[in-house]
Amino acid sequence: MQDLLNAATLGSIYLLFTLGMALAWGTIGILNFAHGATFMFSAFVAHVLSRETPLPFLAAVAISVVVGALMSVATQVLAFQQIIKRAKSQHHAELRILIGGIGVAAIPLAIAQRETKSSPFGINSDYTATVFEFAGLRLSSTALVILIAGLGIGIGLTVWLRRSRQGLALRALGVDAETSAGMGVNRQVMAIGTMAVAGALAGLAGALLTFHLSAIAPETGDQLIIKAFAIVVLGGLGSMAGAVIGSYVLAGTETLVLVAGHGTWVDAVSFGLIFLILLVRPQGLLGRKEVRRT
Amino acid sequence: MRGTRIRRTVLASLAATALLSTAACGGSSSGSGGDGGIADEIKVVAVRDHTGPVAYAGLGGAKGTELAVEEINSSGFLGDGVKLVVDEVDSAGEIERASSEMTKAMSDRDVVAILGPTQGAQAASVAPLVERQKVPTIFTQSGSEGVVIGDWTFRATAPMQAYYDIAMKKLADDGVKTVSVLYNATFATFAELGEDVVPELAEENGIEIVSSDSVQSTTQDFTGQTQSIAKSDPDAVVMLLIAPQSVTALGQLRQAGYDKQVMATSVQAAGNVSAAGAAAHGLMYPVDYSTAMDHPEAQAFATAFQEKFGEEPDPYAAEGYDGTWWLARAIKASGDSSREGIQEGLTQVAEEGFTGAMGDITFEGNDMRVPGVVVQWDGTTESLTD
Repeated sequence: MQDLLNAATLGSIYLLFTLGMALAWGTIGILNFAHGATFMFSAFVAHVLSRETPLPFLAAVAISVVVGALMSVATQVLAFQQIIKRAKSQHHAELRILIGGIGVAAIPLAIAQRETKSSPFGINSDYTATVFEFAGLRLSSTALVILIAGLGIGIGLTVWLRRSRQGLALRALGVDAETSAGMGVNRQVMAIGTMAVAGALAGLAGALLTFHLSAIAPETGDQLIIKAFAIVVLGGLGSMAGAVIGSYVLAGTETLVLVAGHGTWVDAVSFGLIFLILLVRPQGLLGRKEVRRT
Repeated sequence: MRGTRIRRTVLASLAATALLSTAACGGSSSGSGGDGGIADEIKVVAVRDHTGPVAYAGLGGAKGTELAVEEINSSGFLGDGVKLVVDEVDSAGEIERASSEMTKAMSDRDVVAILGPTQGAQAASVAPLVERQKVPTIFTQSGSEGVVIGDWTFRATAPMQAYYDIAMKKLADDGVKTVSVLYNATFATFAELGEDVVPELAEENGIEIVSSDSVQSTTQDFTGQTQSIAKSDPDAVVMLLIAPQSVTALGQLRQAGYDKQVMATSVQAAGNVSAAGAAAHGLMYPVDYSTAMDHPEAQAFATAFQEKFGEEPDPYAAEGYDGTWWLARAIKASGDSSREGIQEGLTQVAEEGFTGAMGDITFEGNDMRVPGVVVQWDGTTESLTD
């Protein structure tokens, strides 16, 4: 039971981080490899601001969210939009956006590494996690926040995308950007808005994870990017519900392997599983099938 | 078409100039002749991580070297007007980068010695190159197998495995009978410690290992492992993790309700666990150098370091410092600053041993051995435990 709870917490961590990436990729088609750097740097800014005086929990999270949103919007406007403008088609742009994201990510990484010498950094706060014990199970208050935030935002975003008008517009952009623009969807505004939300989610994940782990290192974001990428591919591109399910499936698999005592096989098994699922179902668990004109 | 021709001519002349200048630079008086005597300028290259996941090791070592070089040159230790010059190069945490920078340094005939990478994986991959090219290389840190493999590879850091016995003995002296081991199995040094050394030492000291959990370098969350350790409640936990992992593991151990002794490694030294806050209070670890050490050489080193850099030295700085002084002593001993002369000198000094910031240093072949000391962290400083 405790293992289930731990897996759920781990899954929520992955979900919070992946949601931003899945949202941008599945709707406006931007695979943002700077997402990990955004995640880390948002927490890093909170760390720097908390050096002199301890920050309250909510303030640290708020700072992280704002920095994350700003960073993603800046990346969109200064890098991705420029690439899209100059590219011949959406398809051409995709690869360049991917490389552009990796390049952009190097800057906040270098800044953080220089400042911390790659030593772990935390957020100085008066908040300390309280541990709840019930029915023989243990759960820290931070883990509880992560669980609620992850599930809540994950489900909320999925529902919003399906039910609201803006959600419909975003999904339309994801299927065919040109036609949607022709139908009156403002691509630029929607793209900036989506990136802002994606960045905010990265910042939220950054702050929460830093509190949960007590500290992160500048390289932590990059380690999570690979997992997020795998989760989105597993869950299916364009499906937020897929990202939710994918996160918990990956976390569950990892926990299973850990509990079985094979800690060094975690990554191999997790990615092996994803590979297998893709062999059987290439579009991922809930992904939409590609429609191509012949 | 004329523009292209002009461009080509310019490029060709630039290339020719570059070629000529490198050829001209090749034959300067930097003691690469191998015929005895100490040159006026002794050129050494240092290849280590100034950036990357364990940058703190390379940066610390570089500072220690800088202080040593200053002392060596200003005191005229190698002779009047003789200058030791060390060029720092960043391997950025990448094996490929370390290899290519090492190759570059070795093919420069003016470079007579190299201060090698701190990461075990990097060091092990360049060690065969060093032996083939016959360039004396002094590694710091890089405490895994496959590094000190021949006459030209030297290590100025006692591998953790060589002095971890003082840690297990300390636990035994404190009455510890049961221990859980939590270790990063994809980090060479910790894998050796966790799988071979610690179980052996535990047996020698009458300690039973009740559980052993292995993780990867990419493992970030330790909720599961720390909870099961807390449940089995051993007398102590031996934690062999890299910096960010150890901060998380310590916090989660305390959250899981475990409040007994945790024994770590020198990776946690010099405040690398301060981000863990109160969870790290009372943490113990064996180090080869600590500011808490009280012998005169350690104190002198700490004072000089504080004066120069405005901060306290860490073990990496001490290793860089003693390693560079080993090099200087070697040159003085053999009286020859060529590659062969330095190799002879290093071997000679290793046979005799010397006293440095880390205390009375001895050698097992080309590999440094130090007494080491077990210290305890109280949140702000280290203190000796005996």
